[in-house]
Amino acid sequence: MMTTGMTAADLAHTARSSEDIRHELGVDPVSVRSIRDPAIYELEREKIFKKTWLKVATSWELPKVGDYKVKELAVANASVLIVRGKDGQIRAFHNVCTHRGNKVVPTTGFETFGRSRANVVTCRFHGWVFSTDGPLRSVPMKERFGKLDSACLGLREIHCDIWEGFVFINFDAEPAQSLTEYLGDFGKLFSGYPYEESTTAFRYSTVLNCNWKVAHYAFSEGYHVPTIHAGSLPGFQGIEHTDFKLMGPHASSTIYGAGMDTAPSTLAFASMLSTTERHRPRPDQLPPAINPERRADFQFELPNLFPNFIIHLASGCGYPGMSFFTHQFWPLDHGRTLWEGINYFRPAQTAAEQVAQQHVNALHRNAWLEDTATMEDTFSGIMSGTIDEMQLMDQEFLIRHAARTLDTFLAA
Amino acid sequence: MTNPILPAPFTDLAPLAAHWARPSENERSEIRWSASADDFKALYEAMMPRLDDILALLSQHPATDMPEEVRNLFLLACAFAEASPHHELYRGSSAVPYSFDARRFVRTDGDVAL
Repeated sequence: MMTTGMTAADLAHTARSSEDIRHELGVDPVSVRSIRDPAIYELEREKIFKKTWLKVATSWELPKVGDYKVKELAVANASVLIVRGKDGQIRAFHNVCTHRGNKVVPTTGFETFGRSRANVVTCRFHGWVFSTDGPLRSVPMKERFGKLDSACLGLREIHCDIWEGFVFINFDAEPAQSLTEYLGDFGKLFSGYPYEESTTAFRYSTVLNCNWKVAHYAFSEGYHVPTIHAGSLPGFQGIEHTDFKLMGPHASSTIYGAGMDTAPSTLAFASMLSTTERHRPRPDQLPPAINPERRADFQFELPNLFPNFIIHLASGCGYPGMSFFTHQFWPLDHGRTLWEGINYFRPAQTAAEQVAQQHVNALHRNAWLEDTATMEDTFSGIMSGTIDEMQLMDQEFLIRHAARTLDTFLAA
Repeated sequence: MTNPILPAPFTDLAPLAAHWARPSENERSEIRWSASADDFKALYEAMMPRLDDILALLSQHPATDMPEEVRNLFLLACAFAEASPHHELYRGSSAVPYSFDARRFVRTDGDVAL
């Protein structure tokens, strides 16, 4: 494991104070052009989404040989088959039949899950059969092709690698960096937590009529919490957004806080989870450089894994019983975004634990409903041409950093 | 819907279970979205004083395998778990105030029955 022997001091070079951030990233307003200009989106597709490592699955979603998931990724004009082969290895392929281009695995919606029972997938057009590790295994009436180099007609593989159980792909034919290199210090900062134990997932998605960065940026700061979440997180006191970290294209920060006024039902559900060994707060399980002082008021880590993924690592310390939650922002076109939010818990053993998880999940879903309420209005406001710049305060540094990283990639 | 059977001493909650208890999140959401402030209040006043006792009973059963009457109570408790914020925090509104349209917000696997 990457954390072997690692201490908080090994990542001390990533730490930044507010003064450091102002000095390093500047204090000037940031242009909204990359949000407004459709031509920028075309550049993002080529220079970011077809070049960087993108999270597309988790290994525990595909626990058994033959388990697969298909993701429709409009940003890369791709349908991607992620499948666990007979050898246990997870691979990614273009979900495209090498015969004439039909989809091999039929899909519904943005994500399709299934299992191949004989370790093959079969195109429903003419019956070409592919092994789940890629090769073309059989072709009906093969002798009637005047020429067919079936050894070269396997499914087209996409670079795929796994970090801490999160499955990433890279569309580039020859990625400039391995996944480990790309994640860099981010991979070290977040590694060592037993993510794979939290197999209970509450998954939400919606299509937002906004540029993907509007949605991403809205989830990238804690400044909004006391205002926008006054309904679902009432009386959220003493929120402290600090421990800023810069790690190449990625960045992170920590939310501490005394918590909120807890309603009676929440108190009952929360106490049932917090007194259960498998769901209780586990600050001791956090990687060493996250909440290094093991403060009791730690809520969760708030990072940005460039370009479009956020892992909020809570270890049960923030929302009761919640291990971690993730956001991902997939552009559908310049002004439309698929947002995916997932709450992860360790599996409930008793029916009572499951009810309590339903409550915590509902509270968090409701907070997300408050978050998403701003996004289409923000995009409309930016598209109206009324403002040319965003004003950003210290706790919005993840936005400032992501915008700068975006410019760097687009200029490359 | 006929009243579902519930374990003692919760048999009197059967009419509430008939209205609120459904096996999937999407079904429960439909019921919640059409609820009035009085509906939320009635559910809350019936369930909240007995929540600890309900959870104590449900703690004796694994999440995946329950007798039918316990499962009915479990599904009512799930509906309450999702509905209680509407009474406690949202003044009886079926929508989260100042929020995105919940109908556009899809529980991706929300039709899966518990």
